[in-house]
Amino acid sequence: MTDRTWTVARLPSAERAAVWIVLALLMVFAAFVSEAFLRPNYLANLVRQAAPVGITAVGVTFVMVLRGVDLSVGAIISMSAVICALVMNGKPENLLPALAAACAGGAAIGLANGLLIAYGRASAFIITLGMSIVVYGLVQMGTGGTARGIVSPGFREFMNARMGDILPVLAICFVVAVLAGIFIQHRTRFGREVYLIGANPEAAHLAGIRTERTVVIAYCVSGLFAALGGVALLARTGVSGTNPGLGMEFDVLAAVILGGTTFAGGRGSVASTFAGVLVLLIALNLANVAGFPFAAQLSIKGFIIIAASAIHSWIGRRSGGRTEE
Amino acid sequence: MQAFSNLARTYYRLPPIVWALLVLAGFGAVTTPQFRTFANLMNVLEQSATLAFLALGQAFVIAGGLIDLSVGQLVGLVTVVACMSFEAFPGWSLAIVAGCLLLGAMVGLVNGELVNRLKTPPLIVTLGMLSVLQGAIFMLTDRSVGRTVPAIDFLANGRILGVPASLLLVLLFGIASYFVLQRSVFGWHLLAMGNSAPSSRKAGISITGLTRSAYAISGLCAAVAAMVLAGRLGTGFPNAGDGLELDSIVAVVLGGTPLKGGRINVAAILCAVLFLGTLNNILNLLQVPAFTQILVKGVVVILAILSDRPKPAPAAG
Repeated sequence: MTDRTWTVARLPSAERAAVWIVLALLMVFAAFVSEAFLRPNYLANLVRQAAPVGITAVGVTFVMVLRGVDLSVGAIISMSAVICALVMNGKPENLLPALAAACAGGAAIGLANGLLIAYGRASAFIITLGMSIVVYGLVQMGTGGTARGIVSPGFREFMNARMGDILPVLAICFVVAVLAGIFIQHRTRFGREVYLIGANPEAAHLAGIRTERTVVIAYCVSGLFAALGGVALLARTGVSGTNPGLGMEFDVLAAVILGGTTFAGGRGSVASTFAGVLVLLIALNLANVAGFPFAAQLSIKGFIIIAASAIHSWIGRRSGGRTEE
Repeated sequence: MQAFSNLARTYYRLPPIVWALLVLAGFGAVTTPQFRTFANLMNVLEQSATLAFLALGQAFVIAGGLIDLSVGQLVGLVTVVACMSFEAFPGWSLAIVAGCLLLGAMVGLVNGELVNRLKTPPLIVTLGMLSVLQGAIFMLTDRSVGRTVPAIDFLANGRILGVPASLLLVLLFGIASYFVLQRSVFGWHLLAMGNSAPSSRKAGISITGLTRSAYAISGLCAAVAAMVLAGRLGTGFPNAGDGLELDSIVAVVLGGTPLKGGRINVAAILCAVLFLGTLNNILNLLQVPAFTQILVKGVVVILAILSDRPKPAPAAG
């Protein structure tokens, strides 16, 4: 940073802007492939589609900034969708209890994760991986391996209705979740503590921050947002299935990392994660719209994840930011 | 008193997973008579072979502070390609096996090269590769295809003097891995890279070369695992490798390896593989319902990792 101080001073957010540049490039490319990407309706639909992964990614961002990781979110999404459908039981008056139960379940799993990681001082990767197996087992035991529970009438219809004929309610929910995440991250004491701990846990501890407590809260937040992601998934599909969140933890992780949050912690933001989610979703839609068969879509998704991440880190390096070792 | 302190010293010297394995095996021996039989124990060893190869490969990658999420789908791809080829070109078994091992190593090399050149997190590169390979499998087939050859069947199910052939191969790979990782300059450099890549580079170690080699070895091990799995299944099943990448990471970490790399114990990793196999076996023998088994496995993984506390880590671990 010695001879580039000027550049860094003038472009403090060039590195942070990387994911937005990738998103813009991808949008331009997408518009060339199909003019559908220019229609507001289609774009709004894209945001709606992104809601389950996106809402979950907001919570995971906190954990990743903290140098942690949460692989249990896929299982929590499943659990939340199943709990929600079971409690709703096809009655409209059960809507609020169902939401409360799903959120409580997600936060409880997050709390367990946080306590084990903060006080057990164990690897977050393995603890949350183990927790995902536990939760998956619980969900399977709860459902008996078949899709059970019926969503309240009107729930799915309302969530997918379009405000002003353009913006689906679900898309608005996603945006609200992102805004809430940004607020928590930049305007609350907890949000700032997460950055400090991620940047240097020892220094944060010496500075008097109660690191354990912050870690526990962060995992709780992650579990809570994952539960909301599960509700969003249920709203999109209308059926809970037995394991609807299977493998979604990887999409979430990819989105957060594309947004520039690294395993090293201390940087990244919910806003960048939002862009990361959109990059991932547009990539998936591109492969679909271009008319490739499902198998080829999987491969293309892989290529795009790698390419987007490569472009992202290239821009980050060019801007004179800290490089990942 | 002397005996006691010797005992205590032994306790702390052996990795925790060894004690976990002993406790689990003791529990099995007491509660289920079938567990104690020679035939059953050999079965456990045989069933653990696939994961053992994957875990050994993953050990090389994790030792260097990297990670390989693509091995599960690589197993699926190699299994499918091998079985299709065995059916299409009878009499070319040896060439096909060689080709499959090469395919595994090549995919690994591509992983390593991408990590080197793109400078993106290894997790993202190999996650992308997971998706690419999954697509490749489903472009080839969406159902079980092909067949195996007797040599592969023997590798997976055969016995030499009552001992599974696959176990002997695992031991061979295990010993080789031990010497390469813990007793060779290559291994020390790899561990140094895991401890600190920038310092290693300054010390003149070729980071790119090590990364490439580690991934190539991981890919090769995945291909060997695929051969054994093909022999066990008798056909090329496109979903054969689903989730194996996480199992292999769990095994390596239960073996006391930090995900940041820099420390490795091959014997402990093999113990962890055996621990997972034994747990499966005992739960089956006790006729625990399938869904409860999943739950128990998750709890045991968490307990096992909590019991392994080598040194206080930063709060978020």
